[in-house]
Amino acid sequence: MVIQIVVTIGVVLFILPNIYSSYKKKNLTTFGALLWLFFWLVGLVIIWFPELIGLIGEFMGVERSIDALVYIAIVYLLYASLRQKISINELSKEITLLSRKLALKDIKNDKRK
Amino acid sequence: MRNYIVLPAYCEEKVIKKVIESIKKEGYNNIIVVDDGSSDNTYKEAKLTGVIVLKHPINRGKGAATQTGIDAAKLLNADIIVTMDSDGQHNPKDIKKLIQPILDGKADVVIGSRMLNTKGMPKSRIVMNKIANIVTYIFFGILVSDSQSGFRAYNKKAYTSVYTYMDRYEFESEMLGQIKNAKLKIKEVPIKVIYTDYSKNKYKHMNTFPAQGLTNGFKMIARLIESSLFK
Repeated sequence: MVIQIVVTIGVVLFILPNIYSSYKKKNLTTFGALLWLFFWLVGLVIIWFPELIGLIGEFMGVERSIDALVYIAIVYLLYASLRQKISINELSKEITLLSRKLALKDIKNDKRK
Repeated sequence: MRNYIVLPAYCEEKVIKKVIESIKKEGYNNIIVVDDGSSDNTYKEAKLTGVIVLKHPINRGKGAATQTGIDAAKLLNADIIVTMDSDGQHNPKDIKKLIQPILDGKADVVIGSRMLNTKGMPKSRIVMNKIANIVTYIFFGILVSDSQSGFRAYNKKAYTSVYTYMDRYEFESEMLGQIKNAKLKIKEVPIKVIYTDYSKNKYKHMNTFPAQGLTNGFKMIARLIESSLFK
């Protein structure tokens, strides 16, 4: 029960605001934000109702609990990769805007004269 | 009427002068070349012709270079902006065809479509263009015959309503999405593409500027899909 409460608080206090701010900063599209929201909400449901995993596991043929760790690791790697992708996208956008600013410098200066 | 021709250029030292002169010959002297961080003498060669030449310090892609050119024309208060390729694929005689519907008030944006007359076009290119049209429709909700054509004309209403963020070739699709959202009038006119040995072969030696071939087409589609998740 304690773990479930801690994870839920963590998701509500850190993850969801993170998704919202990424969306507000236009780093995520509406579709992307909804996808991540769905992903974490599903995670919360599974944490509160772990028997669902058993059902899913049964459905998928996964019976060993160690497999769950592997799945968690995969989910973490996906999340880390998403964060990196967002960060690279931001940097790339900034480099383009900087290049553009430098390229347009002369025209802007001529206009001011 | 101030019409500006925007030419995004990357490593086009062999043809850029010829392309600029052929555009000038058609009576269009307001030309903006955006050298997209070329490693060759594209900038110097373009400068020799006396047109406006801007330079990206590093290569950012055709989309980024085109948007820089559009921004420059915007600063110079252009009435109509025409974007075209700088490798000589587009025939400057077609510029008139692109501008005319705007002058007649029939369109805000005119696309020079290669797909309305595919004679002489490589088959792989036709297939990729068709796939790109479908992908553009799925992600941006607009169906045109040549979503990847870089030969386009925009009036003031159009170029002030759009601003692309995609750096590479997929910016053409992003632009179409914005055209649709801004409810701009769009028209397509057939254009003739000149596939020279130069334009067919130049990408074979470049890894940083993907454009042709199925692999690069798929890369573009992958980036379009990715862009539906990230802004």
